[in-house]
Amino acid sequence: MLIIAILLIPLIMTVVAASVPWRPWVGWATAASSGAFLALGVALSVATMSAPQWALHHSFRADSLSAFMVIVIGAVSLLATSFTSRTMRQEMESGATTARYARHYAVLMQVFITCMLSAVLTANLGVLWVSIEATTIATTFLVSHRRTDAAFEASWKYVILCSIGIALAFLGTVLIYYAQLHASGPVHSSSLDWTSVMSVAHHLDPNVTRLAFALLVVGYGTKVGLVPMHSWLPDAHSQAPAPVSALMSGVLLSVAFYGLLRFRAIAVAALGPVFPRALLLVVGLVSLLLATVMLIAQRDLKRMLAYSSIEHMGLLAIGAAVGSPLAIAAVLLHILGHGITKAVLFLSSGEIYHLEGSTEIDKISGLLARRPTLAGIFGFGVLSLVALPPFSLFVSELTMARAEVDAGLWWVVAISLGCLSVIFAAVTRHTRQMLMGAASVGSSSSPLSVSVALPLISALVACVALGVLAWPLQSLLTHAAQGVLP
Amino acid sequence: MTLAIVPVGGVVASLIQLVLVALGGPLLVGLMAKVKARAEGRVGAPIGQPLRDLRKLLTKERLHARHASVVLALAPMVIVASAVVAVAISPLVSTHPLLGSSADILVIVYLLLTGSAAAALGGLDTGTAFGGMGSSRAMTIGALAEPALLVAVIALSIQSGTSNLPRIMVDTLAHPDWVLAPSRLLALGALLIVVIAETGRIPVDNPATHLELTMVHEAMILEYAGPELAMVTLGEAMRLGLLFSLVANLFLPWGIATHATALSLLGATASLIAKTVLVALGVALIEVRSAKLRLFRLPELLAGGFVLSVLAVVTGLVTR
Amino acid sequence: MSTTYIASLELASGAVLLSAVMTLWRRGVRSIVTMLSLQGIALAAVAMVLALHEHERALLVTGALVFVVKGLVVPTLLRRVSRLDPRSRESRPLVNVPASLVFAAVLIVLAYVVGTRITSLAPSHATHLAPLGLATVLVGYFMLVTRRRAVSKIVGLILVDNGIALVTFLLTSGVPLIVELGSSLDVLLVVVVLQFLMVSMRHHSDTDQLTEMKALHD
Repeated sequence: MLIIAILLIPLIMTVVAASVPWRPWVGWATAASSGAFLALGVALSVATMSAPQWALHHSFRADSLSAFMVIVIGAVSLLATSFTSRTMRQEMESGATTARYARHYAVLMQVFITCMLSAVLTANLGVLWVSIEATTIATTFLVSHRRTDAAFEASWKYVILCSIGIALAFLGTVLIYYAQLHASGPVHSSSLDWTSVMSVAHHLDPNVTRLAFALLVVGYGTKVGLVPMHSWLPDAHSQAPAPVSALMSGVLLSVAFYGLLRFRAIAVAALGPVFPRALLLVVGLVSLLLATVMLIAQRDLKRMLAYSSIEHMGLLAIGAAVGSPLAIAAVLLHILGHGITKAVLFLSSGEIYHLEGSTEIDKISGLLARRPTLAGIFGFGVLSLVALPPFSLFVSELTMARAEVDAGLWWVVAISLGCLSVIFAAVTRHTRQMLMGAASVGSSSSPLSVSVALPLISALVACVALGVLAWPLQSLLTHAAQGVLP
Repeated sequence: MTLAIVPVGGVVASLIQLVLVALGGPLLVGLMAKVKARAEGRVGAPIGQPLRDLRKLLTKERLHARHASVVLALAPMVIVASAVVAVAISPLVSTHPLLGSSADILVIVYLLLTGSAAAALGGLDTGTAFGGMGSSRAMTIGALAEPALLVAVIALSIQSGTSNLPRIMVDTLAHPDWVLAPSRLLALGALLIVVIAETGRIPVDNPATHLELTMVHEAMILEYAGPELAMVTLGEAMRLGLLFSLVANLFLPWGIATHATALSLLGATASLIAKTVLVALGVALIEVRSAKLRLFRLPELLAGGFVLSVLAVVTGLVTR
Repeated sequence: MSTTYIASLELASGAVLLSAVMTLWRRGVRSIVTMLSLQGIALAAVAMVLALHEHERALLVTGALVFVVKGLVVPTLLRRVSRLDPRSRESRPLVNVPASLVFAAVLIVLAYVVGTRITSLAPSHATHLAPLGLATVLVGYFMLVTRRRAVSKIVGLILVDNGIALVTFLLTSGVPLIVELGSSLDVLLVVVVLQFLMVSMRHHSDTDQLTEMKALHD
């Protein structure tokens, strides 16, 4: 029942947003619906602690991992949708959009959220693929929302690259299905159902599974933003409206990563740990290195945040490569912490863009003097992003490093720590450039309204809380990690 | 009452083939010219015109350029001789021609290539601009066509596991569904492209032109006159006849004589003529419908032939 | 195992790959779209033949869907796009046509080598043909990477998708119907989205040579 309710809420909201013309209350209603399914997600996580939940003749299935992902989606979309009315008002005032496109925006945001929820709640690996591909189509028009040349270019690249990537993932899924049909196991199964695939996972043909997993890593990796198919990510994130970037960077990447986690479990069962680990380590480390290089000389604020997403996705891939229960739990915590932090940063960068009319780092300076609240939020967000101690990303990165050491991967720890310290230096330098310095003349300084500051500050507080006392989540995380261990 | 194992049957078959191709080759050339003329709304020369031209040329005196070496005189003989051997051993009217066991596709291909090489050398021999240009163009086309040809040969040999032409024919007769196999069809496509290139037809070369910029084969043989020109022309016509009838037989093998009885040889002769005329009409239609390609676009066509033949091999392997 | 079944399956699968190669060979957008249409029909034929042979009703539905979507609707959409575009030829591919044809030959052999490792799991007449689908996928990728025009990129994407569909049919006689529906509609949607973007971009900046898109970079 919970599952159906979680899926129905954004679906109903889609219909509502589509059937009435744009009004600011629609934006607040979408925020309320996000809050509602977030609460249901928490309830679902309690329910799944005892046993996985099923719905609609086994079409949907939720274990602790799904419930956890629902919470992540809920938290980030609550943040993002609470900015809907504000963003639309700003854009309509500046003439960047009209009521008609504001309505499209509200509808597509809900479709997007629904697709992500169905991706994490479906029981079928094929439907997982369909849902993730559907998010591409929903977000295309969100990326091109501003209807400028650059926005069209970004969304064109986004569709082409993601469709290619996701096509590879489909081929991988098909090959897994083929291996499953001919698995010589005790149980004969013939659907892409997660539980039935897992029941024969030990008997899948290694040759086919190896190719399938490689295709899936590249395919879903495209959507995650992993090298070699990452190049859409900075373009799309820099062109989309801030709440869309927040949702895409905060959860869409992680939802695709969720797909990889599921298939990794299958691959480890069929092939043993060596091949999946090697593959994920390679893409993870290369993504991390690439993000490091690109962050050093970054000139655009939103592109900087986008490359930082590639960095964090690389870290997730490395964590998944290790694959111990501890590492997976840390990966999940990292997904949540990164989602919230990145949402805060993208939303505040949207405010900065609104104020300054640009996201070029060189053109922004003295924010702290002019807009202390906004600058403070942004500054603390960056501190969270580079994983300073009170924030949860510090805890998850530390735990991942410990898991890597336990697995004997000293060299991986060394490389990632090197990259992370370079990134730390680069990102703080860029941030200092924007926050400090002399205030440019003639810039107005109206105080940040409470409705903007409150969600962002409470999100940052949540990050600290997660970092200091992980106990409300600890049992959920370990239980969720069990779901994707062979 | 069979004579299949008696070599006499093979000798008879080979003789029939030789006569057929030596007379039929020029007639095919005339036929295609006629079809093209009709398609263009002209009356055109009679089909027997190439034969009359040959007879006329044979009565003329031999003329050599002053600086020509012995190559110029030898080349026409090599062209005709290689064509004669290739025709004699190929399975055209009978699956058991003389020396049929050595009629590997590669042997026939290289016999024909020997003729091409001789023609090119003859073109180069006098050292004139046109001869050299024609030879170099012809060799370029030949070199581009060769990979496609070789891979197509491999594709053809996959089904029966041998590249011996008579055996392929016999096996195809036993398995008629092979003809419609994608591998065979793709190889047919590739072979057609190669044959068009090797026989110098449109869109690769225009046999009717004497325009400096476009001619390939005509430029190469510009220095020949009289009986030697007749030999070169006859050799080329025999090549064309042989290639067309081989393509016809590979893809429509029915009618070929498997026993050397008089009746079956007669039937085979009739069916061979019919099939080859069909192929010639097809090629003539292609010629009517297409314009000659510019020289630098030729690699596109021949690379296409190459991909087709690779496709033929791969589909042959996966459907085996 | 009737010979008609095997022969028609081989013919249709071969036609899918052949039309992929032809799209690489031809330059005019019109003839390329015709090739795509033929490919969609051949793909539908593969599904139908398999469905009749294995008495799978779901696959029959899929075949009909493929015929409508990939044989009729998508080519019609593409034709409409190309009508908007007066310069209907691929003018400057990154790799010239002969070289890309030779490259395609290499890719086909590669697909065969990789494919045989997969098909050895369950040898049958259908699975043996799967390398043809893999080859179509690779040719599609090659087209995507080396052609500059927007329409050519869409064509490449469709080739990849058709190749994957062929592999799906041949290896597994089709994935569950719901997934198949999803993926077919998905192609349609992607093409519609891309068409919309193309029209918008032309409206804005009068170009669809994608290499001239250089606004976004680091």
